[in-house]
Amino acid sequence: MTFLEKAGQAAIVQVEDAGALTMQFWSVFRKLPRVFPIVGARRRWRAAVQQMLDIGASALPMSGLMSLCTGFILALQSASELRKYGALEFVVALVAIGFTRELGPLITALSVSGRSASAISAEIGTMVVTEEIDALRVMGLDPVEFTLAPKYLAALVTIPCLTILSTLCGIFAGYLFLAFSMDMSLGTYFRAVAEAILLRDVALALVKSLVFATIIVHVGCLEGLRVRGGPEAVGHATTAAVVKSTFLVILADLGATAIFYFMGWSATA
Amino acid sequence: MTNSASGNADDAMISIRSVSMSFGDRRVLDRVDLDVYRGEILVLLGGSGSGKTTLLKNVLGLAKPETGSIMIHGVDITRCSRSELGAVRRRIGVAFQAAALFNSLSVEENVALPLRELTRLADSTIKLIVRLKLLAVGLSDAGSLYPPELSGGMRKRAAVARAMALDPEILIFDEPSAGLDPIVSAELDELILFLKRSFGITILVVTHELESAFHIADRVAMLYRGRLIAVDRKEQFAGSTHSRIRQFLDRQPDARPRVAAEEFISGYLKGSTR
Repeated sequence: MTFLEKAGQAAIVQVEDAGALTMQFWSVFRKLPRVFPIVGARRRWRAAVQQMLDIGASALPMSGLMSLCTGFILALQSASELRKYGALEFVVALVAIGFTRELGPLITALSVSGRSASAISAEIGTMVVTEEIDALRVMGLDPVEFTLAPKYLAALVTIPCLTILSTLCGIFAGYLFLAFSMDMSLGTYFRAVAEAILLRDVALALVKSLVFATIIVHVGCLEGLRVRGGPEAVGHATTAAVVKSTFLVILADLGATAIFYFMGWSATA
Repeated sequence: MTNSASGNADDAMISIRSVSMSFGDRRVLDRVDLDVYRGEILVLLGGSGSGKTTLLKNVLGLAKPETGSIMIHGVDITRCSRSELGAVRRRIGVAFQAAALFNSLSVEENVALPLRELTRLADSTIKLIVRLKLLAVGLSDAGSLYPPELSGGMRKRAAVARAMALDPEILIFDEPSAGLDPIVSAELDELILFLKRSFGITILVVTHELESAFHIADRVAMLYRGRLIAVDRKEQFAGSTHSRIRQFLDRQPDARPRVAAEEFISGYLKGSTR
């Protein structure tokens, strides 16, 4: 095979990948209203709530703790430099802005991608192997509506919530540091935080976390549905789901941050 | 190769006409014609790689053949709309090879699932139907168990109960005896015969188990390398002289690997004695 043929084949695989992702995205998107409370089917909503507990609630301790640690690390690292200039109080702004814009959404997405992208792909992959997906189709039930849509809704609802909570954890870690090192009171700290953060920062963080949520659940589902053959294929799918979703989350973060920067939205007034 | 062993074409519940399919260069199904008549048990025999799973997927509408048509209840499922396909599928029950029960639901909930999702029956009615179906397959006291707690045979029975939930006219079994010991497998055969006798359901069984095939079948069809090489009443089929059928029935291995190995060894011996 010549180099050109190889390159062409690789390109076709990538395009097919992208195509499969897009097609699945639209088919789930159309079914999403079926999962909503009140207007949708009651059973799907219940499944979605179960998924919210799995994806969101049980990830809270982990992502919260990770943010707490990272917040403390950020405060320590910046303090050692800022202390030289006698500007220790700038630690507040650094932690607050850093977490709201960047670290809160990213750390949440990475912890959820490790926990849930793998769990989702393993669950769906097993359903493929044991013919449960086929069984659903043959029974006249749409697997997209039945298994995928509740997971999408759960991810889209819980990951922004998790992001808010872990951002708060990170900012609180900054307070812990400053309370120890310069006896700053909680009130003073949070007034300084409120001054540093703009509403726009919060909105951008939420947009980011929605994008990350979509990536995680989407890659997890697609890798699961792709499973062919026996149980060992489920293992490969799980690995692929975690690796791909982590990579794509960081790529999307870079893209989003670059766009915000060049549009001038990230400048503090 | 007689296709008119019982009934006539008007009575066909499933009629497959010159269905072909290939994966890449490999022809998996080659102009397959097959009818399944009302109220009969047709066993589709075939070794590994004979294309029987692919044919089954085509019949269930999970795969589309490249050419040919598949009529079920007078609807060509290779050309119909999604809603028509859905309507046809409601009248077919399928017991999958791995049972395909939903692990997060109890046996009762598994059987109730199609009723809950696809009908507007009241909860009390659904409960009653579920009890009847579980009774029919002999699982009346296992309703509250979860699939992982069941033995292989019980799981298959539960799958049959779920397949029967919507009172289908056609019941399809994929490898019913796979992974079961001879006693449990024989019990499942009895269950299949019982379902045919008491409900008059048309049954299509895909398998490679000869004993069970000849026990339950009215007619036997055989696929070999994607071609249907025989369809006949089981008595005639058992007396067939077709070499491939004989090989399958008499459990003879393919000669090719053995001959190749013998040639290699004799050549090797000649070389070393020189």
